[in-house]
Amino acid sequence: MDFVIGQLAGFGGAFWVLVSDPLSYVYIIPAVFLGITFGALPGLTATLAVTILTGFFGNKIPLDYALIALLGAYVGAIYGGSYPSILLNIPGTAASAATAMDGYPLARAGRGGEALGLTTTASFIGTVIGTLALLIFVWVLLLISKNIASPEKALLALFGILLSGTLMSEDLVIKGWMSGLIGLSMAMVGLDPLLSEPRYTFGWSYLLSGFQVVPVLMGAFAIPQIIDGMRHASLGQMAVLKGRILPNIATVKRYMPTIGRSGVIGTGVGALPGVGEDVAGWVSYGVGKSVSKDGNTFGKGSLEGLLSSETANNACIGGALIPLLVLGIPGSPPAAALMGAFKINNVIPGPTIAPEIIMRVVAILLLASLTMFVMGLFTARVFIRILRIPQTVFLPVILVLTTIGSFSVGGGINDLYLMLGVGFVAYFMNLMKYPIAPLVIGVILGALFDETFRRSLLLSDGDLSVFVSRPGAAILLLLNIALILSRIPAAKRVYGRLKGHVT
Amino acid sequence: MPVYCVSDSDEKTILRVRDFWTSLVLIATSVFFLWKTSAIPLFGENRAGVSGADWYTSAAIVPLGLFSALLFLSCVLLLHAIRSGGASRAFSAIGIGWNAADVHRVSAIAVIMVGYIAGLVPRVDFIVSSGLVITALIFGFRGGTPQRMRLAALSVAGPAIFAFLAYWPQSLWTAKGDDWIALAVWIALTILIFRDAGTDKVHRFLPLIAVLVPLILVCAMAFGFRQNVPARGGLIFAQIEYHYYVTLRPIWRE
Repeated sequence: MDFVIGQLAGFGGAFWVLVSDPLSYVYIIPAVFLGITFGALPGLTATLAVTILTGFFGNKIPLDYALIALLGAYVGAIYGGSYPSILLNIPGTAASAATAMDGYPLARAGRGGEALGLTTTASFIGTVIGTLALLIFVWVLLLISKNIASPEKALLALFGILLSGTLMSEDLVIKGWMSGLIGLSMAMVGLDPLLSEPRYTFGWSYLLSGFQVVPVLMGAFAIPQIIDGMRHASLGQMAVLKGRILPNIATVKRYMPTIGRSGVIGTGVGALPGVGEDVAGWVSYGVGKSVSKDGNTFGKGSLEGLLSSETANNACIGGALIPLLVLGIPGSPPAAALMGAFKINNVIPGPTIAPEIIMRVVAILLLASLTMFVMGLFTARVFIRILRIPQTVFLPVILVLTTIGSFSVGGGINDLYLMLGVGFVAYFMNLMKYPIAPLVIGVILGALFDETFRRSLLLSDGDLSVFVSRPGAAILLLLNIALILSRIPAAKRVYGRLKGHVT
Repeated sequence: MPVYCVSDSDEKTILRVRDFWTSLVLIATSVFFLWKTSAIPLFGENRAGVSGADWYTSAAIVPLGLFSALLFLSCVLLLHAIRSGGASRAFSAIGIGWNAADVHRVSAIAVIMVGYIAGLVPRVDFIVSSGLVITALIFGFRGGTPQRMRLAALSVAGPAIFAFLAYWPQSLWTAKGDDWIALAVWIALTILIFRDAGTDKVHRFLPLIAVLVPLILVCAMAFGFRQNVPARGGLIFAQIEYHYYVTLRPIWRE
C-alpha cells in the first residue's frame, strides 16, 4: 500500500510541475495536433511523426520539453489513424488497420459521428490504462532489473530483435530475422565499445563514431514512404460525417468491459519488445471477436469491434514504454524513435535511469491523452478537412523536413548521405517484403548486444555456460531457442510427433 | 508495395524471384564482410607491442557470428526461392515484378533525391534548393504523367550536376554561381506551372508552399534552435542572416 501511495504522490508532483508550466502547453498542443495530422494523413505514420520531431527537438531543447513534443505526437498519431480508417476505409497508420473493418461500415450507415466520438473516448481511456500500467509495472520491473547483468541484457536484446522480426514479417519469417541481423551488422560499424578497434570504416573518419541513430531512423521510415507515396492517387469516396461526435455516456458505460479488456491486451502486447501498435490492434480485435457474444457482427459495423482495436492501439503506447524505460529495449517502432531522442541526449534508459524521467514520461502521457481527447471531440472536423490534402503535396514537404532535421543533429552533410543510403536500402527491403522495424531496432540495440555479449564472456573467461548458469539468462536463452524452433517446419513436425507419443 | 494487375500466385512467384536475387546479393555481402572481419584480430594478436585481447573479447567475435548467421539465412532463403520456382523464372518478364511506369516513377524520384542531397543541399542556398525540389516534386508527380516526371527530374538534376561538377571541392561550396542557376530553373518551372495551372488550387498555391516551408524551417533552425544549417553562405540565407544580426537584432536589443 505504501508503494502505491508513494507512486501516486510522486506522479502527482510530476503532473503538477507539468501542468503548472505554461511552456508545457506551447509544446503539447502543437505536438498532439501534428501527431493527429500525421496519423490522419494516409502515407504518414506515428513512427515518422516521432522520428521527424526527434530530428527537430531531440537535442535542441531540454529533454523535459523534447519529451512533451515527442510523446504528444506519438499519442496523437496513433489516435489520428482512426480518421481515414472510419471515413475512407484507408488506415492512416498500420495501427488503425483493424479499425477500418468496423469503422467504415459504421460511417457508411450514417453513424460516423458516433464512431469517431467513441473512438476518441476509447483511445483516451486506452492511453490512460497503458499509462497506469507504466506507472505500476515500470517500478516493479526496475526492482527486478537491478539483478539483470550482461548475459541477460545480451539475450534480451537478441530476443527483442527476433520477436520483432517474427511478428513484423509479412512474408517469410526468416526475412524478419535477416532484417534484424542487417540492423545488428550495421551497428558494428565504427569503434568497438570495449577495445576501440575500428570496424568497417573503409578509412572514412565519419564512420568511426558508427551509424548515427537519427539519420538511420529518418532514412528507414521517411524515404521509403516518400518514394512509395509520390504517385497520383485519388482518395476515393469519403463517407459523409453524420451525427454528433460527443459520445453518449450510457454507450461508453455499456462498452466499458470491452474497453477495459482491450486496454489490458494492448498494454500487454506493447510491453513485448519490438512489437507495435498494429499487432496490439489486431490481437485485441481477434480476442474481442472470439469472446464477444456478438462476434459474428465484427467486420459489419460493430461498435465492439471498433473499440477493441482503437483502445488497444493507444494502450500499447504505455506498454511499449515499459521495456524502453526499464531495459532500454524499445517496445514498438515509435518507441525506437523515442530511444533515438534519449540517445542523442546521452540518457541511457535502463535500470540506472533517473526516476524523475519516468515520472515525467507518465505525467506527459496523461496530459497528452487529455489534450488528444479534447482535440478529438471538439476539432474533429478540422482533421477531416486535412484528410483531403493529397499526399503528393505533403510528402515533398516531409523530404525537406527530414533533410534539415537530419542535417542539424550534428553529423552535417555526411548524415544526409547516410539517410539517403539507408532510405534506398529500406525502400528495396520493403519491396522485397522485409520488415524495417527489426532493422532499426537492430541498429539501436546492436552496440548494447555487442558490449554485453562480450562482457559476459570476459567475466567468465570465455566460458559459454555463463548464458545458462544464471536462472534469468537460462530462461531468456530458452525463449530465444523456442522462438526460433517454433518457426522451423522440421522442428514443428518433431514437436507434433513427440506430443502425439505423449498423448 | 503495390504490384499491378497480378494475381496472388503471380505475386508469390514475383516474391520468390526477388528472394532469389536478394539472397544472392546478401550472400555476396556476407562473404565480403566476413572477409573484412578476418582483418580484425581474433586470437590475441600483438599490436604495436601491446598484447591484444582473447578471442572472446575480440572486436571480431560478434560481427563474425552476425555475418555467418546472415550467410546461413541467405542460403536458406536461396534454397527456398529455388524450390519455389524463383530461379527458373529469374530472367522472365514477371521476374522483377515492376512495370515500366513504376520504374519510371521511382527512377525520377531517385534522381531528384540524389540530386537534391548530394548536389544541391551542400552547395546551393537551402531555400532555393528546397523550393526547387518541392516545386518539381509536386509538379511532376501530382498529375502522374511521364513527361512531367521527366521534366521534374531534369529540373533538379541539371542544377545539381552543374553544382556538383563546377563546385566539387568543399572550398568552393560558398560560391554563388550554382545558386543563380538553381534559382533560374525554379522560376522557369514556376512560370510553366502557372501557365498550365488552370483551376488547380494546389498549383496556384505551390509557389507559396515552396517558398514558405524552407524559409520557416531554415530560420527556425538557425535563429530559433541556433543550429547549423546547410549552405550557410547561400544566396538568400546569407542576406537573411546579415540583416538578422546587423539590422534587426540591434533594434530589439536597444
